[in-house]
Amino acid sequence: MTELVSGDGRTHINSRLMRESLQNRGVLSQTDSDRDVQVFPDVTLVSIGGQSIFDRGKGAILPLIEELVEIKRDKTVKMVIGVGGGTRVRHTISIAVDLGLPVGGMAQLVGAMEELNAILLNTLLAPHGSMPMQRDHFWDLPLYFDAGITPIAISVPPYHFWEPPPEAGHLPMHGSDFGLFQLAEVLGMKQVIFVKDEDGLYDKDPKQHADATRFGKITLDELMTKLPDDNILDRELFHAWSHAKNLKRVVIVNGLKHGQLSAAIRGEDVGTVIVKEPAV
Amino acid sequence: MSERRTLESTLAGSTLTGPGDKLDYRPTAVMPAVKVVKIGGQSILDRGRAALFPILDEIVEARKLGIQVVLLTGGGTRARHIYSIASELEMPTGVVATLGKYIPMQNARMVQMLLAKHGGIYMLPDDFEKLPLYLQMGCIPVMSGMPPFGYWEKREEGTRIPQHRTDAGVFLSAEFLGAPRALFIKDEDGLYTDDPKKNPAATHIKAITARELIDRGLPDVVLERIVIEYLPRAQWCKELQIVNGLKPGQVLAALKGEDVGSIIRA
Repeated sequence: MTELVSGDGRTHINSRLMRESLQNRGVLSQTDSDRDVQVFPDVTLVSIGGQSIFDRGKGAILPLIEELVEIKRDKTVKMVIGVGGGTRVRHTISIAVDLGLPVGGMAQLVGAMEELNAILLNTLLAPHGSMPMQRDHFWDLPLYFDAGITPIAISVPPYHFWEPPPEAGHLPMHGSDFGLFQLAEVLGMKQVIFVKDEDGLYDKDPKQHADATRFGKITLDELMTKLPDDNILDRELFHAWSHAKNLKRVVIVNGLKHGQLSAAIRGEDVGTVIVKEPAV
Repeated sequence: MSERRTLESTLAGSTLTGPGDKLDYRPTAVMPAVKVVKIGGQSILDRGRAALFPILDEIVEARKLGIQVVLLTGGGTRARHIYSIASELEMPTGVVATLGKYIPMQNARMVQMLLAKHGGIYMLPDDFEKLPLYLQMGCIPVMSGMPPFGYWEKREEGTRIPQHRTDAGVFLSAEFLGAPRALFIKDEDGLYTDDPKKNPAATHIKAITARELIDRGLPDVVLERIVIEYLPRAQWCKELQIVNGLKPGQVLAALKGEDVGSIIRA
């Protein structure tokens, strides 16, 4: 029964949080439980790298499209695709840094560069069934899946002008890897697969160090103790994931090697598999 | 195999995940003269006319003095009500944050209707690019204080309430605009050692640094904790001022730059 409560000059609606300060730790903890609702637990999110795939042009993009079309032949596969922006994002930010633009200004700018890759991808995949998905039109997803249409999501999170001041340095912390992770997390998806141009995640940049070693299957907890400074994925992804409840599996595969993505979609351990173990 | 085709730049080939602290960065302030002002939801708007009208009078007076004001609104009891029900349903934080957008938006629209005759204009979250026009025309832009993170709001350990709510939105707006101080209008004189509504022994804190405030580990604080955490890393907005909007003259004094209420410094 809804009930209005007054008497202290304010009009409240009766609720467990009525009159409470949402800064109070005791109050905050009352809202928690050991699970979050999982909306789409049978969906895989596929993220296709900007620098690693799109910046290589036709030679890398077309074989990957072919593989996506093969994957789509299995009508039981439900996937959402996102893309990175690559070298144009880096160019944008380097100019923005030189101009002294605020970090929120940089965050507002970069999404446009990724959208270019999303348009390319959709133009190539549309004949086989794909459509760009508007920012947060998640509730259309069941329709997409029923119709065999693969949605292409916006990967940069909408932090925009509100990008928080970074912990160190001057660059935005919330990039497209984080954005896609968060999309999978909030919708309770099965896994995220990052398609890059290396066989997985390495302890250091394999392009610069011949002795770099690849992580095979590793838990998030263990990886967090070994995270390299210069990383193939946004640091914020790992940070946010460690506080999250839903997502259990992130896979990093080589999109230049045919079959790795398909294997990861089938749930096979390929590339680097990062798993989150349930809290004890 | 096709090679990466890379544009030459200082960040070419970079993963963008390192600290990037070797860059030559000389920041430019976007609109440093703007006063970014929050009107509290539970503290002011839920009190209705008695509390709000005198505050708006002072804001209009400040605007007539040429002070550029942007108003952002909080949520209040309706936000608490939906947060409470959403929590029972075990909604992910991103969903809770999305629900949390609607109430501050209603409040912004209410304030705009009241200020329309004085140039009040409703602004969408991404409309900062229109601010120069609005302010040069003598308008008082009003917008929701909620950051646009929505479904992309990260989960915090131990709670499903979003960390970035309307205080964070006010601070982050001031930081983007390059304003040195953000002003929060509440129903208390500022910062206390505990919630003064519940603990009569709580004492007022006139000025404090963010670090001191964090070190005190207070059970309750007047602003969202994440804002206190961000403050030391801010490029521009290095002061947060909290004033009591129920006391006549406080809002106008603060808008004129006087150190009334409490001030938290980076």
